[in-house]
Amino acid sequence: MDLERPGGKGRPVDLLVEGFRKGTPGAFEAIVRAHQDRVYTFCARMLSDREDALDAAQEVFLSAWRNLAGFRGEAALSTWLLRIAANRCLNRIRRRKSLAEREASWPEPFGEAEDGPVFQPAGVEADRPDRLAESCEMGKILAEALSRLDPGSRWMVLLSDVEGFTYEEIASLAEVPVGTVKSRLHRARMAMRRLLSPVA
Amino acid sequence: MDAMDCRLARNLLTEYQDGALDAAAAAALAAHLRGCGECADCAGSLLAVREVLRDLPPDPAPPELLPRILAAVEGEDRNVRTDPHPGGADATRPFLSRFRLPLEAAAVVLLFAAVYWYQRTPGTAVRPPSGLSSGVSSEDGKASSSRPMTAKEDSVKGSPSGIRLPRGNPKTAKKEEAPAPAKSRTWTAADLPSAPAVLASTNSERIVPIAPPPGPAADSARPGAPAFGERGSAEAEDGADSRLSRSFSPPPSRLLRPLPYGRDIVVDVKPESREGAEERIAGAALRLGGIFERFDRGAGEAAPSPSGTVRVILPEVAATRFLEEIGRIGTIPPEGMPAANDLPAGPRPGTVAYAVRIRVR
Repeated sequence: MDLERPGGKGRPVDLLVEGFRKGTPGAFEAIVRAHQDRVYTFCARMLSDREDALDAAQEVFLSAWRNLAGFRGEAALSTWLLRIAANRCLNRIRRRKSLAEREASWPEPFGEAEDGPVFQPAGVEADRPDRLAESCEMGKILAEALSRLDPGSRWMVLLSDVEGFTYEEIASLAEVPVGTVKSRLHRARMAMRRLLSPVA
Repeated sequence: MDAMDCRLARNLLTEYQDGALDAAAAAALAAHLRGCGECADCAGSLLAVREVLRDLPPDPAPPELLPRILAAVEGEDRNVRTDPHPGGADATRPFLSRFRLPLEAAAVVLLFAAVYWYQRTPGTAVRPPSGLSSGVSSEDGKASSSRPMTAKEDSVKGSPSGIRLPRGNPKTAKKEEAPAPAKSRTWTAADLPSAPAVLASTNSERIVPIAPPPGPAADSARPGAPAFGERGSAEAEDGADSRLSRSFSPPPSRLLRPLPYGRDIVVDVKPESREGAEERIAGAALRLGGIFERFDRGAGEAAPSPSGTVRVILPEVAATRFLEEIGRIGTIPPEGMPAANDLPAGPRPGTVAYAVRIRVR
């Protein structure tokens, strides 16, 4: 259910937000129904774990429920929700103690490594038969490729290429210069290209 | 001619495909891509990846997500039931935390007001005698004797100012006060500083007990015992000296008690010179522009005690001359010389307070 794209009018959701603010019964449930797929998918692609994604998506909507009164509508509601989701997922990723063990350096396309590793090597689970069977589907292949990007680049690729955020929006969210966003995105996309070259 | 190498071209591919390159760079890159098959392939595959990502459909959220969210919201809503319309950053904050800053500000104001009230409350504030500053010129040290307080004048008036007068031999007192200039001054009760309850010190030997004033009750009771806790019955009953009665009232609480100040002097006098020693000391203080606070006699007037104490407050510039005067009254042993200690010398800067202890040797 794609009610709006970033920068769009988002009229139906705006009505839902107004209804929520007025205390209309069921308004918040309607908001969740309208955005849960997108938020959950983003979380799942960021975290590569179903339960973690469920928890993160729940946190996103709970935070939205607390703060919807302060939502000024400067951006689309979906953009606002994805910003919350990105922060929540990054926090979760930072908390994962095993992350450092899973990360390892990977050769850069052109020897650029100033921003840290872009790739993560495939985890042990990648060799599981069920994972191999799933990899036949494009979505699963993409999810696998995304999961092998380092989290700092992964969420930028998701927001930029999947969700359609602009450089400036991502830079504002990440609190980094636009140039940094560009360079990270470039390296992440080149890495995705190498990962997906037999497919794409 | 292709002015762009492959490395630079590939670095610009992302921005090129995003339309973020300026026209010149975009044209140069396009020219390079037309002439470089390898970079063109790279651009093509990169674009394909982006298209795949862009068209990636969202996964449907698991069916349990919505009930979980609604249950979490309902649980939180129960916690903030007082607000029927949840929302806003304040919705989940504890009630008191919303008023934390105003409460802290109010506490600071109250504390300031309490300290201010404490400083202004008569009887607890330590006020220096205004005469010390008005009678002593800072320009010259001689001014300490230019406008001394005349004990004679006050004694004639029956101590209307509240200054406690010497109760020794009047003749002796007059003898000591004779050199004092006749120039009158305007000492009032307000000029007197509040005296500390005791001369506090970490050295117990330095604590000067303030005996009750000489009188029937005090004299017959415990000579030399600290006067606090018992009222000076003679003075309190006649009501002539309200300040005196305040001095012998039970001490204020530890919090309200003024900070102690003053230094001790021990003066040894001969037995034949013992009588009237307090008056001579007080007279010396008065001549030098200071005041005396009280006499603490060991055993009253009838039978002079070997010990006694006179508390005086002087301008700081008159301290040396006062010690010289004391030296004429008796002998100040080395251990009796006032030493600098951790107590303030006087109730205010520019003043010095002494408790002169008289010993008969």
